[in-house]
Amino acid sequence: MLRINDLHVSVAEKEIIKGLSLEIKAGETHAIMGLNGAGKSTLANTIAGRDDYEVTKGSVEFDGKDLLDLEPHERVGEGLFLGFQYPVEIPGVSNLNFMRTALNGIRKYRGEEEISAADFMKLVREKAGSLGMDTEMLKRFVNVGFSGGEKKRNEMVQMAVLNPRLAVLDETDSGLDIDALKIVADGINAQRRDDTAVLLITHYQRLLSYVQPDVVHVMIDGQIVKSGGKELALELEEKGYAEVA
Amino acid sequence: MLEDVKDGYEAQAKSLQGMLPGTDDLRKKALEELAAIGMPTARTEDWRYSDLKALKGGAFAMARTPKENPDIPAALGDVSARLVFVNGRYRESLSDMGDLWQAASIRPLANHLMSNADRVGELVRGKDGVALLNTALLRDGIVLQIPSGVEIDDPVEIVHIMTNADEKAAHMRHIVELGEGASLSIVERFVGDAGAYWTNSVLQARVTESATLTHTRVQEEGDGALHTAKAYVNVGAEGRYHATNLSLGGSVARFEAHVRLLVDEAEASVDGVALAATGQSHDTLTHVSHRMPHTNSDQVFRTVADSRGKTSFQGKVTVDKDAQKVEADQSFKALVFDRTAEANAKPELEIFADDVKCSHGATVGELDEKAVFYLTSRGIDPVTARQMLVEAFTAEAIARVPHDDVRAAMTDRINAWMAARKDT
Repeated sequence: MLRINDLHVSVAEKEIIKGLSLEIKAGETHAIMGLNGAGKSTLANTIAGRDDYEVTKGSVEFDGKDLLDLEPHERVGEGLFLGFQYPVEIPGVSNLNFMRTALNGIRKYRGEEEISAADFMKLVREKAGSLGMDTEMLKRFVNVGFSGGEKKRNEMVQMAVLNPRLAVLDETDSGLDIDALKIVADGINAQRRDDTAVLLITHYQRLLSYVQPDVVHVMIDGQIVKSGGKELALELEEKGYAEVA
Repeated sequence: MLEDVKDGYEAQAKSLQGMLPGTDDLRKKALEELAAIGMPTARTEDWRYSDLKALKGGAFAMARTPKENPDIPAALGDVSARLVFVNGRYRESLSDMGDLWQAASIRPLANHLMSNADRVGELVRGKDGVALLNTALLRDGIVLQIPSGVEIDDPVEIVHIMTNADEKAAHMRHIVELGEGASLSIVERFVGDAGAYWTNSVLQARVTESATLTHTRVQEEGDGALHTAKAYVNVGAEGRYHATNLSLGGSVARFEAHVRLLVDEAEASVDGVALAATGQSHDTLTHVSHRMPHTNSDQVFRTVADSRGKTSFQGKVTVDKDAQKVEADQSFKALVFDRTAEANAKPELEIFADDVKCSHGATVGELDEKAVFYLTSRGIDPVTARQMLVEAFTAEAIARVPHDDVRAAMTDRINAWMAARKDT
């Protein structure tokens, strides 16, 4: 589904990703672990298409399509979702309005009809409800006055509603207490199917106890230095990055 | 003031002698003062941000009634009456008073002055050249008087249309009076064709004890127009004045609200949105004066300036020495789309009482690109994303408009403005 080949990315003229290759197949859950500064978020933002992230070499293919050639909103239309490390507050825009406009944006890209108001409310109530978010919260402005945990849960609700084929989750577990972590893990696990894939970016092993990855990659200084099964995460936790890499 | 401009306006004033009962002396005095102080210039403090080229050129001739009736724009929502002005003249045949005439008094200015010659003194003369000219050349307007205790739910729409009035001006004077406990909502609309005309409007309002006046303005003048408007409002005990101004049209547009909270417990809110496209200049000046204790005021303004567009906000709040326990708040936020867009902010507070709560905030900035990316990263295309953010940005400034349909129409116009931008 996702094929990254020898990717080099610079931010403000400084090379952060120095030759990264990665392949994720449908049905798989991958985890990329690494210390701060390793380039994990840079990778996530590059895949999502954020400005200021300059790809100097290499390719990113999504189902055979050149992802780097598409605008951010087009990549979402193709089935991508980026879970933010720091979700943005958007005063004046309600969660409902946000998600409905996003869903319709994706449908428009795919040449599909817009979702009816009734169908949308049914969908969003179901998905939000299963993650413990009530209607009152849905009416509130995006992330305004939300605690860290509530913001991360909001990411999961959006993911559930938009139903992507590839979810790239950037430090989705950072700053969460155990209850919030479980809710987020539930959200991620609900998204794992034979036809979808998940790329978790984290530097704590904790989330991976609840969302057990198929493959774990270790990222150091802009490159993947080691890949292995889920035991690799535990090994990192025990021995530290320097030792394992 | 340039001789020929002065002569031009004097000639016009002369031709209006005897037109409105009791006003000859008032016109004369206004003209004398106008000749003395002239039109505002860039050095006139209150006009420092305004583009005054149009006023300096020749005198604007008086607009005339066009041969053919123009199209009247559809109402923004349910109305209790529609009063139509074309080129500054009230057109009864194009208006619809509905049942309102049974509950209230609605009369053209001339009729009002004919029956109330003693009240000419209540006409505000004005302090700057623009207001003085309005006084010298006033011709028509509408006088709305709501008796005590009468509450009119649906708004009265006052539609001003300018057509085929290139280099001509319409000077209108509206008067609104609310008896004790009365309530009225007016929606003023301004539309016009592409000519370089001048709409010069003054609205005076008296909101007596426990009355409520809601004043909404949707200014959509033509691309070449000069629009200058002033509202002078006196609010009595427990009276309420709520104004919301949406400034979209005109080459140079200016709205001033002068509100005096004269008796205890009077309250006012003055809010607005100005959207300046390339080459447009939108100015707002407010002056809220707290004369007595326990009076409150709040102002929320949001402006957006596109490339080479300009907006300005001057917000004055004065609190008299005896006006204790006053709460006055002001929030002004300006968005600029690039480095050639311009936004000016001048909050001014003159507080002479010592037990008051007054706040003010003025910020100028660009759209938060993080927010734009958050929206596009969810599948929303960049044009729609920016539109959503501007809609959210301006929402707070139109939130107090009590009629859902009118507010929705204003939101539609804000979104249409965003959609029409060339570079998105």
